[in-house]
Amino acid sequence: MTNGHANAERRSESASLVEVRGLSKEYVQQKPLTREKFVIRAVENANLTIRRGAITGLLGESGSGKSTLVRCIALIEKQTKGEIWFEGVNAADFQAAELSRLRRGVQIIFQDAASALNPRLTAAAIVMEPLEIQRKGTKSQRRERALELLERVGLSAPWEHKKPLEFSGGQRQRLALARALALEPKLLIFDEALSHLDLASQESMLELLARFKDERQLTYLHVSHDLEMLRNIADEIAVMCEGTIVEQKPTTEIFAHPEHSYTQDLLRAMPPLETICQERFAHESP
Amino acid sequence: MNRRYKMWCALTLLGLAHIVVFFAGFFAPYSYSMQNRNLPYAPPMRIHFFGRQGRFHVRPFVYALKGDSAGLGAYAVDQSREYSVHFFVRGSSYKILDLFESQTHLFGVEAPARLFLLGTDEYGRDQFTRFLYGGQVSLAAGLIAAGLSLLLGVIIGALAGFYGGWIDEILMRAGELFLALPWLYLLFAVRAALPLHIAQWQIFLLLLGVCGVIGWARPARLIRGVVLSAKERNFVIAARTFGASDFYLLRRHVLPQTYGIILTQAALLIPQFILAEVTLTFLGLGVGAPMASWGGLISSLQHYYVLASYWWMFVPALLLIPIFAAYYAIADELQEHLKSVPL
Amino acid sequence: MRYVARRLAHAILLLITISLFTFVLLQWTPGNFFDAMRLDPRVSAQTVEGLRSQFGVNQSFIARYARWGRSLMHGGMGYSFSYDTPVAPLLWSRAKNTLLLAGIATLLAWIIAIPIGIWTAARKDGPSDKFFGAGISTLLAIPDLVLFLILLMVAVRTGWFPTGGMISGGFGSFSGWEKIKDIATHFALPAAGLAIVMLPMLVRHIRSAMLEALEAPFIRAARAHGIPRMRVLLRYALPAASNPLISLFGFSIATILSGSAILEVVMSWPGLGPLMVQAILSRDVYVVAGIVMLSSVFLVTGNLLADVMLFVSDPRIRVEQR
Repeated sequence: MTNGHANAERRSESASLVEVRGLSKEYVQQKPLTREKFVIRAVENANLTIRRGAITGLLGESGSGKSTLVRCIALIEKQTKGEIWFEGVNAADFQAAELSRLRRGVQIIFQDAASALNPRLTAAAIVMEPLEIQRKGTKSQRRERALELLERVGLSAPWEHKKPLEFSGGQRQRLALARALALEPKLLIFDEALSHLDLASQESMLELLARFKDERQLTYLHVSHDLEMLRNIADEIAVMCEGTIVEQKPTTEIFAHPEHSYTQDLLRAMPPLETICQERFAHESP
Repeated sequence: MNRRYKMWCALTLLGLAHIVVFFAGFFAPYSYSMQNRNLPYAPPMRIHFFGRQGRFHVRPFVYALKGDSAGLGAYAVDQSREYSVHFFVRGSSYKILDLFESQTHLFGVEAPARLFLLGTDEYGRDQFTRFLYGGQVSLAAGLIAAGLSLLLGVIIGALAGFYGGWIDEILMRAGELFLALPWLYLLFAVRAALPLHIAQWQIFLLLLGVCGVIGWARPARLIRGVVLSAKERNFVIAARTFGASDFYLLRRHVLPQTYGIILTQAALLIPQFILAEVTLTFLGLGVGAPMASWGGLISSLQHYYVLASYWWMFVPALLLIPIFAAYYAIADELQEHLKSVPL
Repeated sequence: MRYVARRLAHAILLLITISLFTFVLLQWTPGNFFDAMRLDPRVSAQTVEGLRSQFGVNQSFIARYARWGRSLMHGGMGYSFSYDTPVAPLLWSRAKNTLLLAGIATLLAWIIAIPIGIWTAARKDGPSDKFFGAGISTLLAIPDLVLFLILLMVAVRTGWFPTGGMISGGFGSFSGWEKIKDIATHFALPAAGLAIVMLPMLVRHIRSAMLEALEAPFIRAARAHGIPRMRVLLRYALPAASNPLISLFGFSIATILSGSAILEVVMSWPGLGPLMVQAILSRDVYVVAGIVMLSSVFLVTGNLLADVMLFVSDPRIRVEQR
């Protein structure tokens, strides 16, 4: 069997879209004046599985290495050790062109939407950019597609000429989402993207995401420290602590039978279910 | 409001100055090399509106000058004839950019009278004319040298900042080297390395080249800083995930962040290099006669007798001040503006 | 200590590179002193050749550089062809004059700039700030050369100051006090000129350093505690602003030799400036190289000094070390 053939077979068999095996990422820094080198281990021997069509949550506090891990998955940074398998094939086996295609298939929505959008460009230009870079279609075709996408995320006609700073936080995230969808990715990673939104915006955003997921058979990875939100939307949750994944289980199991001490501590810190229910109802009553 | 207003005034002033200097042939009554050996160090002509018997002339006029018999110092005014100042007169021919030839001058008077707005130098050459033509050399020197410095600075700074690693190390070490060299002395040293008597335009270009090569270090460092922070911005990372090439990233996202700094540096470098050219020529190391340069015009001020007796030779030096003030006002405003722009 | 050693090594490396660079530059000189000599019919060809080999002009580049480098180590800097004397003593004597002038001017500039800088920072946007700000901007707009010429004009027209040189004719016969007075009147204008040229940038930097220091929360806390304004300014804000100021001072030292070049030429002050111009015009290679090296040494040393002083004075930098 030729390699390509084997790849195709493996691809159709595996249910996991992305598999991270033993990933480590180290940074070597120099102390500013003495130039002594010291090593920062952002991620150490992490294992993660992202199943196709599922919503996976990556839970951890600041400094746990979530963002670094995610950047490695998105192929923005190269890991120091370990492998990343996409649809059953090791990313290291790919050539540059394939790798490029792969990279386009994974999109990140950042926490701070404003920083992810070039303040000098209009909304339409921002959404058109990926199409432009990939040279898909003519200029007017690209524009049409961009307007379409903007419409789908709820930013219709007059918004196309506005610049990012004129949008609210929630709208900016939607703009970033529209752009991310332009090249029809397979995996969308939300790096604390909903953390800074108010509850109402969060809800509408999650609704939008749910719709897209069904329409386009997308897979989501939500990186967050908001356990409550993950409990509501994620199928599986992976808990990350100090650079490594301590547990990955289906959501209900994590809450019912947390194994690792860190997970247990986290859960204990959560407000009890009754309080949450009370708050919910208080929110909804007239 | 106040500073903005200042900047627009400054820009207008500079714009006008450059236009006038560009069309020096038109605005100046004479050619820059035209000598009037019989009228050395003549004071500026007075323009009269009231003639004999107090008659008012709508058209201003001048009197001819007579050298006194001894041929030095005092000039007497010959009141026998009034020479009107005409506008759009025909005079000596000149070329603009070596392409268009013309003979029209903005104003002039009939021979043998002369209209010396700023007096003459030791060869009887009209200082006003030489000032305008000198501006061509000095202003151009500033612009070209600054342009070269900035071009090099942007390229090197962008490369160093974007690619980092050993490229950054080497380029920044080189920059340190250039910054550590005493700028002015280095310019002198390079001038020393050039043969003393080569063609004018060659000296000019070589000096500009040297200024440009020496001056890239500071802008490069600033640009590198901006590029370093810009390339980590999330929208650059996002573009990378779309498959953007390095060149695209630089062109579309990173370099536009540097425009502000480039403009500010330009506003600071241009006067610096104008001064460099003026200084070099002043010392006799730059562009030489008969080409006019502002440095050449004021070089005679080194002589005691000029300072003591011929005050009008000082005027070109004073006329430099508004030009510099304008550039610095623009630089100030740009720097303030940069501080308030949200990055 | 390691930090200082590293910076020192860095500085020395830089100087060596500069020396190489300078030497290379000067070897490109197409004509040289001896060509002119050769054209002179009075000098026989043999003499010229003899002189050439004496100065090692016909040796290879590396040999010449090595020779020059070695003599640099011993404090010699080659030979001046036009002055017919070793370069080193020539440079030292001139450098003394330059240092005298530039040193006093720098001191003057700092003494005037610091109070103005502090005052305008304390009274930000007030009438005095605007006044001084306008004054500084105006001064800044006057190109150095023009300023020096204006001062020269003043000297000529008013006769209050001598118009050039360092000493008057009968200097030898002056008494000690008269000698001092004589030199003083001679460098009054040049020193003033240099100081005026340095003033604007100094005031601006001091002002912005003070402004930044004043923004710090601990200053506001100090004021809230009722500590009088002047004390806050001088005992709290000024030390906090001292970092950029130390760098600035290092920079002042760094440019002390080259900053006054033009002034010296215009005012005929017998320093390194006029010497340099002369050397260029007469293609006196070793003098040019020597002056460039000397200025570079000051530049690099000044920066090094600033770095070391920063290290010593700022406890934060030392803590980071560990």
